[in-house]
Amino acid sequence: MAVATTMELTFPRSIDSLPRVFEAIEDFLTGLSMNEEARFAISFSVEELFTNLVKYNPSSRTDIVLELVKREGEVEVSVTDPDAEPFDITQKPDIETNKPLAERKPGGLGIHLMKKVLDRIDYQYSDRRSKTTLIKKLE
Amino acid sequence: MLDITWGEDGRVVFAGRFDASQEAKAQSFLDQVQGACALDFKDLQYISSAGLGVLLKTQKRLAASGVGLRLINVSKHIRDIFHYSGFESIFEIDPSP
Repeated sequence: MAVATTMELTFPRSIDSLPRVFEAIEDFLTGLSMNEEARFAISFSVEELFTNLVKYNPSSRTDIVLELVKREGEVEVSVTDPDAEPFDITQKPDIETNKPLAERKPGGLGIHLMKKVLDRIDYQYSDRRSKTTLIKKLE
Repeated sequence: MLDITWGEDGRVVFAGRFDASQEAKAQSFLDQVQGACALDFKDLQYISSAGLGVLLKTQKRLAASGVGLRLINVSKHIRDIFHYSGFESIFEIDPSP
């Protein structure tokens, strides 16, 4: 088994950080044999987690940590808030996506879609560190 | 970065990445749409749930007048997102080219 390649970066807790987050992901994934759907799934899911931390924990002064790991056959991406209340998206109930337009409300779709486009989501919470890990297989 | 412009036939042309940092700009543009309108996604590389929220909000506003948005030139990975969102039943989406 090949040795895993890891990269860890921190970003200010702001929506304005998003372009640099995407750039870091693209740089990390460069050269990997990976289809467009898989790249999309990773960017989409990291944005969802990152914007949730910006929106729902705005008073924290800590930066948000992004860790990317390449392994044989998969990519693992973790988004960590070092100072947060627990927020385990794996425990969130599924939303109904078959409602007619009049009953649909903006919001709530992001976590549902992450579960659809990723292969696995793990969650760890310890000493106020809230860490969500996303796994996407390369094939 | 996201560019939104009016196309020659009244369509709205999206190019680039529609992420949360572009939400206010996109909403402000789509608030100008008053009738049935096509959104051309030919050069749209990415859309996040923030972008989906803007589309849904606009569709709900237009539905009150009995019209709606039509999405054209939608790439496969964005189409998949619409499928998982249940948007295929609330937006008219042209078949992929």
